[in-house]
Amino acid sequence: MLVKLMRLTEHPILNFQEKRGRKITIYFEGQPIEAYEGETIVMALHAAGIRVLGYSVHKHRPRGLFCAIGKCASCLMTVNGIPNVRTCITLVEDGMKIERQKDKPKLPPTVKPPKFKEAKKVSGDIVIIGGGPAGLMAAINAADAGAKVILLDENPMLGGQLVKQTHKFFGKREQFAGVRGVKIAEILEEEVRKRENIEIFLETSAIMLLQDGDEKLVVGVRKNKELIEFRGKAVIVATGAMEKMIPFEGNDLPGVYGAGAIQTLMNTYGVKPGDRVLIVGAGNVGLILAYQLIQAGVDVKAIVEAMPKIGGYFVHAAKIRRLGVPILTRHTILRAEGKEKVERAVVAQIDEKWRSIPGTEKVFDVDVIALAVGLRPSIELLHQVGCQIKYVPELGGHVVIRDSRMETTIKGIFVAGDSAGIEEATTAMLEGKIAGIAAALEIGTASSEWFKEIEKAQKELDEFRAGPFGRKVLEGIKKVVVE
Amino acid sequence: MKSRAEVVIIGGGVIGLSIAYHLGKLGVEDVVVLEKNYIGSGSTFRCASGIRAQFTDEANIKLQKYNIERWKRLSDELEHDINFKQSGYLFLATSEEEVEVFKKNIKLQNKFGVPTRLISMDEAKEIVPPLNTEPFLAGAWNPEDGKASPFHVVYGFAKKAKEFGVEIYEYTPAVDIIVENCEIKGVKTERGMIKTETVVNAANAWAPVVNEMAGLKRDFVPIKPYKHQLVKTEPIAEGQIEPLTCPPAWNDSYVIQDGEDGGVICGTGLEKLTHLDDVQPTYDFIREVLKWATKIIPALKYVHVVRQWAGFYAKTPDKNPAIGKINYIDGFYIAAGFSGHGFMMAPGVGEAIAELIVKGKSKVPLDWDWYDPHRFERGELRSAAFQIG
Repeated sequence: MLVKLMRLTEHPILNFQEKRGRKITIYFEGQPIEAYEGETIVMALHAAGIRVLGYSVHKHRPRGLFCAIGKCASCLMTVNGIPNVRTCITLVEDGMKIERQKDKPKLPPTVKPPKFKEAKKVSGDIVIIGGGPAGLMAAINAADAGAKVILLDENPMLGGQLVKQTHKFFGKREQFAGVRGVKIAEILEEEVRKRENIEIFLETSAIMLLQDGDEKLVVGVRKNKELIEFRGKAVIVATGAMEKMIPFEGNDLPGVYGAGAIQTLMNTYGVKPGDRVLIVGAGNVGLILAYQLIQAGVDVKAIVEAMPKIGGYFVHAAKIRRLGVPILTRHTILRAEGKEKVERAVVAQIDEKWRSIPGTEKVFDVDVIALAVGLRPSIELLHQVGCQIKYVPELGGHVVIRDSRMETTIKGIFVAGDSAGIEEATTAMLEGKIAGIAAALEIGTASSEWFKEIEKAQKELDEFRAGPFGRKVLEGIKKVVVE
Repeated sequence: MKSRAEVVIIGGGVIGLSIAYHLGKLGVEDVVVLEKNYIGSGSTFRCASGIRAQFTDEANIKLQKYNIERWKRLSDELEHDINFKQSGYLFLATSEEEVEVFKKNIKLQNKFGVPTRLISMDEAKEIVPPLNTEPFLAGAWNPEDGKASPFHVVYGFAKKAKEFGVEIYEYTPAVDIIVENCEIKGVKTERGMIKTETVVNAANAWAPVVNEMAGLKRDFVPIKPYKHQLVKTEPIAEGQIEPLTCPPAWNDSYVIQDGEDGGVICGTGLEKLTHLDDVQPTYDFIREVLKWATKIIPALKYVHVVRQWAGFYAKTPDKNPAIGKINYIDGFYIAAGFSGHGFMMAPGVGEAIAELIVKGKSKVPLDWDWYDPHRFERGELRSAAFQIG
């Protein structure tokens, strides 16, 4: 019964009936569960009402989904006997056996040693890590500028976070103004797929980035088992961002989800995240999420925001208020309560020193707490290869030093999108375009005509950032851009 | 920062901090440790955490027998749990010839009280349940060997040393040692001058640079930095690969479960003579080490690697450290060039150097002649210390 309850059948924008693949069966601790080909393990489990994915090894506290895009360790489970599999980016397969972990895994005593094979080798001019808005635009432009491009992403689909954005974009017409994010993802994917000089590797995690003689080596692992060595003259890192967590009691309870994870559940896979939601953070992500939840038929109880003002665009906030969702500014979450998962959220008003004011506590009867408290750039590969790093709070945390053409302190390694500093999809696309062309220019496949295209994109970026919301980002960029 | 100190120790790794702790314990006031980065950052925090007495020469066996006694009491002494476990070292033989070598080594170790014994592969399988026994003939097993947490050891030594009044200056590189008429007058740092008459060079891989500051030839003690690497897996249940398990014939490859979180640390002999800034992990290493690790413990093929890092074996030509007084300069001591064994030797070496400075002699069974820093210029080399990797 639960199965039908959590699957979305009707949605004003998305059609999941059409999208869902063949029905198959997976086994959760021996119990058969209905799943659809093309969805990840955790989505199938959530659709069946299973939110507790495991237990922490020391205190055995329940663990649930958090980021849903392979960036955290909250959804690790044992899959077909292999422990610690990221179930949020691993696709279901018929007959798959999924187990929760409670303790550290024990190795089987007798196993045949693996046959040690040479790794598969793939070469191109430019290797792009990340198939979100920045990576896709980088791929399209680098390919058009004459480069042979390799594009990898550890998720099973291209589009990055665009695949869950049901709202329409702002900006100029050439920046997809008025087009929904999901549609932009489709358009960009189509553009990428029709270019013969772009080779795509999905479900492929880049685990290492190295300088290898004159080349760059990206070590990839496909579907958790196949080792692939990607070599190119240049690399563009467009690995996006990771949801931030804030400290409060019970913040590890299943049901405390990153805002992006909720969007993945309901907008990408058509699974209801829960029935009643409290959102923490009234920036654009929090506001848009509230609207999307309502579209999916989920009750949004309130949005709390610690700042005295709403951070997001006025239009978004107005829409939410019209729908009757209270936005409580100068409020914070005190704790999440519940036994195995979120059952209640307690919030309180805070004073100008950010301390909660006794007596102002409010209890919300919710089963989901959505954290929309910001993102931090995913710079792991850039850090590992030795790019110079700087802490820039305006850009979300640690970011790499780069030039205005998105090249890092290591020649031939470029960065674009949120991994260069937290902004939005529109700027990510422009940065991707710049990085793709700049990389092609550097390795010599592009003619100098292409400089004009970089200048054009830089101008568009300047215009986009000229508004009041770009001020903070511009402050941050001043700190990382060197010539 | 102090402008004068009784003793200045250059190098805030486990050796420098052990010396500082023991000096403090002996009542020496005004001890300063200079560390150019943060404590433990050079080599200690990068080590594989193993502690053994299974060496193949008298000097190292005796020192390590004594050191294991020190390790056993160290948590109590420092009032800080350093996570020392006597989980043993298990060496595995792949040929009859190797079994014979093991027997010879065991005999020598037994002679000096180290209880190593030759064990069957059935017994080895009980000690390391997921071990692939098939390629091996026998094991050399010393249950008294073990491991400790490099992080807690460094922290414990530093904390206790500070209680004794030792000052530890991190991010404070020594830039020069002032020597007049073969006597030390002081140490110049990036943050100012410290007057002193006694300096200990505990800079391990960086020790030649420090010797040069004192006016000695850079290769007076010829220590060279060899890059070694390790990978570590995600945590697995404790009690599966507790001992350091190593078939020396397989390029000195080894596996050992971290005593704190149960992750498996894997090493191999692949090394590279490099420069002092190169701690960049390499792809060829991870390929090589995992090839061997999954041959030793096949089930490791199911376990994810979560970390890889590099550090230095600060090697001397005979792979034995240089420990003692430097005769050319009054008040100049060295304890460096540990060739991969600094962590396991730290308690006893720290004690010995501290006593040498204060009393002119030490009760630690440390063979000063064997480790004499002047042996290299005399062209005398010891038999090479038995080294993994």
